[in-house]
Amino acid sequence: MKGAFRWTFLLVLAAFFVIPMLAMARFAFQSVPVVLLTPETLLTGWSIQPILTIFSTPQALSAARVSVLLALFTISLNLVLLIPLAIVTEVKAPRMRPLLTALTLLPWVVPPIALVVGVAATFRTGAPWFLASVYSLVPFYALWAMPFTYRALDAGLQATGAKTLYEAARSMGASLPVIIFRVLLPNMTASIIAAAALTSAMVLGEFAFASLLLKETLPTFMVNFQRSDARAGLALALFVLVVTAISIGLVVRVLRKRGLNVQTTGI
Amino acid sequence: MVAVDMERVGKAFGPSVALTDFTVHIASGELVCLLGPSGCGKTTALRILAGFETADSGTVHVAGESMSGVAVENRNFGMVFQDYSLFPNMTTRQNIDFGLRAHRVAPKERTDTIDRMLHITALEDQAEKYPHQMSGGQKQRVALARAIATRPRVLLLDEPLSALDAKVRESLREEIRHLQREIGVTTVFVTHDQQEALAIADRVGVMSKGRLEQIAAPKELYEQPTNAFVATFIGSINRVPGYAAAPSEWQVLDRQVRGTRGSVPGESAELGVRPEDLVLSIDDGPGQQGAEGTIGDISFLGAITRVTVQLSQGPRMIVDVMSAGTTHLSRHQRVRVCLSPEADHLVVMSDPQPVASGQVT
Amino acid sequence: MIRVGADTRLSLMVAIPFFIFIGLFLIYPTVAIMTSALTPGDTFSLNGLQRALSGTYRQGFINSIALASTSALLGGILGMTLAVVLRSLERPRWLHSTLDSWSAVASQLGGVPLAFAFIAAIGTQGILTKLFSQLGVNINDFGISPTGFWGLVVVYLYFQIPLMFLVSLPAINGLRATWREAAAIMGASASRYWFRVGIPLLTPAALGGMLLLFVNSFAAYATAYVLNPGGALVPLQIRFLLQGNVISGEEDLGYAIVTWVIGLLLLSLFFLTFLQRRTLRWAQS
Repeated sequence: MKGAFRWTFLLVLAAFFVIPMLAMARFAFQSVPVVLLTPETLLTGWSIQPILTIFSTPQALSAARVSVLLALFTISLNLVLLIPLAIVTEVKAPRMRPLLTALTLLPWVVPPIALVVGVAATFRTGAPWFLASVYSLVPFYALWAMPFTYRALDAGLQATGAKTLYEAARSMGASLPVIIFRVLLPNMTASIIAAAALTSAMVLGEFAFASLLLKETLPTFMVNFQRSDARAGLALALFVLVVTAISIGLVVRVLRKRGLNVQTTGI
Repeated sequence: MVAVDMERVGKAFGPSVALTDFTVHIASGELVCLLGPSGCGKTTALRILAGFETADSGTVHVAGESMSGVAVENRNFGMVFQDYSLFPNMTTRQNIDFGLRAHRVAPKERTDTIDRMLHITALEDQAEKYPHQMSGGQKQRVALARAIATRPRVLLLDEPLSALDAKVRESLREEIRHLQREIGVTTVFVTHDQQEALAIADRVGVMSKGRLEQIAAPKELYEQPTNAFVATFIGSINRVPGYAAAPSEWQVLDRQVRGTRGSVPGESAELGVRPEDLVLSIDDGPGQQGAEGTIGDISFLGAITRVTVQLSQGPRMIVDVMSAGTTHLSRHQRVRVCLSPEADHLVVMSDPQPVASGQVT
Repeated sequence: MIRVGADTRLSLMVAIPFFIFIGLFLIYPTVAIMTSALTPGDTFSLNGLQRALSGTYRQGFINSIALASTSALLGGILGMTLAVVLRSLERPRWLHSTLDSWSAVASQLGGVPLAFAFIAAIGTQGILTKLFSQLGVNINDFGISPTGFWGLVVVYLYFQIPLMFLVSLPAINGLRATWREAAAIMGASASRYWFRVGIPLLTPAALGGMLLLFVNSFAAYATAYVLNPGGALVPLQIRFLLQGNVISGEEDLGYAIVTWVIGLLLLSLFFLTFLQRRTLRWAQS
């Protein structure tokens, strides 16, 4: 009885998630408009033309490039800011942990538009060049990714007993850089990768900040593009989804094989 | 009051065999310990008895009824886990109450039972505390109270003291024993700590690699181990070389004794001798009885002093001597090692090998 | 002279860049906005805050809260159930890792591709719409369209469920098997265990997760923007006021709405932290 419920539940949920994807694929790759769809026309008009259109649109490729670079910079910024903080909290000041966990959740409390307006007002007077660059998105993205990045790092440190490792290494006479680079960081690989995966997914799908700052990233491009060529736009969206999902899946699988269990974030 | 009979139980998890041909008959009211190193199958045996695992082969009977097909909930057993397994969202009182409610006991009787349980485990002042507010020893007492509150037919304990400090462990094991004797519930206690097992059990079953090597009362296990594994696992033992002097006699050190295996003249083997079954005497010169050796270390252990002796032609031996009789012993002294008069039946520890002619100890 | 130990100095050195970053890009802009909201025209007044809760803006708040809470509640229940179901299934090995990577992607990538997908499925030209119309049912009439309330809830569930799943996993994994076994050997049926132990233990995590979902979806912008740009939802209204019009005075109204939003979400955050501490305490027993 229990087993049947479980599988039914999974199947219904799977259907819920897969059907819109299928609908999107159908719309993108079949040139038959919905009104004309009949069982006879169901198998006609399929082609991968929309994908080819995308690859031959230079704007699409540059938007994609921008998004990927943004993802890399965001991950780097967050790791540089948060790894030392996470290490220090775990090893020296565990009582700061609840404060930091709450603090890193703050970015989600402020609506993107407010943040954009606030920051823009600050920089407009002081450093107007800052907002002109597309990379001005990086601080916003870093903030938005902070909640789960910090949690993933923190969970990883706790799970591997970083405090004990640090003290053991210290007692063996290791210097701080050695401890960080040869003891602590290698043990954080799994959580770093988990955080990076989530951040990448976030950046590749992030629309609010990008559109409010009038930048051309992959998602903003998608929205504009689909106004002119709906099918290609949807094909691009589907493509991005599938590629991201597969990449992350591969990364997680490779990590699992190496025995590094990717820590999921808690609350 | 029930008897437990496990007959030829076998269990494998995929390619690894956890339990083979496991047979044990536990009398009503008896406390049996399953003792062995990790991976020996003792926990698997316990879990099969509890019903959490199903045996691949063999049968399990409790009070004469077969347990196959009987769900865990319906067996009316009690169990204490290594990690206490107390429900964190409930107070001590509520934890103990849980099983009583599941058995649909009337409210008045529930309250009475809980009060009684709190009293006999000395937990009255912990009644309204939550698990995270209590120490390990207290939590385990709650677990015990919870397990026996429902008057189980069989009480199962899975390494209940392993997570506790040494002092707490000792006092709690006495409590468990005392409680068990009073209630008279048939009990199976799994542990890897031989001191624990020998201290409280009526009988101890020594296990290794999925097999039950020997099950006997602690004294018998110690004095008459049936094979090398049991002899080495329980207490300390010396492996002394001996050779077959006559069809059932082994020549060991200074005299001939019987062994757990018959001897064929011309064979040599190692025999097990307990440290307290050896006698030391100062070496006066050739012609004296016993094996020659030199004293290595002398460790004062209280009533007993442990002396290590390196034989000139043989292994290093551990000899336990009453501390009162050691004033004349010192390091590097030459001594002779003999068997004590009481030792008359030794465990043959290794496979007998034919001796090449000319070799005589 | 204050003696500061080497450790403390190091900790401070590490914390400073972080706090500068947060201060510059988060705290200062937020405080600036909230101050502007409270001092429209350079005088202290609560007028702005009051206006922000009247008329269409009031409706916007009601809509947003309704949308966020409904999707948080449904997404929370479904997401946690998924985690529980997954925990009990060991067999298909690939199931666990597939769901893990899916939840990572689906919870964050949502927004734009999602909106497209749902238009393709249940929009006026959607394939499901067409399918159902063959059966004589116009699902748009039931509000199952990308612009109706329930349509939006359904779309939001797409990222709410994976997020809840992701966030519930540690709590579900924290439910020790020995608790279940202890309950069973004391004679409890599965339902008794869940009712008295499992569910109470999961409740703080569940509530916390739902709060997180609420916070996450309240400010959700992309999906709303693509599906219903003129809709009465708070994020869209803020955008209209702060970027659409450049009339001053209207800006202050926008800041006022933002202030309310921040207040609401801060409150949720506060409760979230409280629930977290509960879960932590139980995990230590």
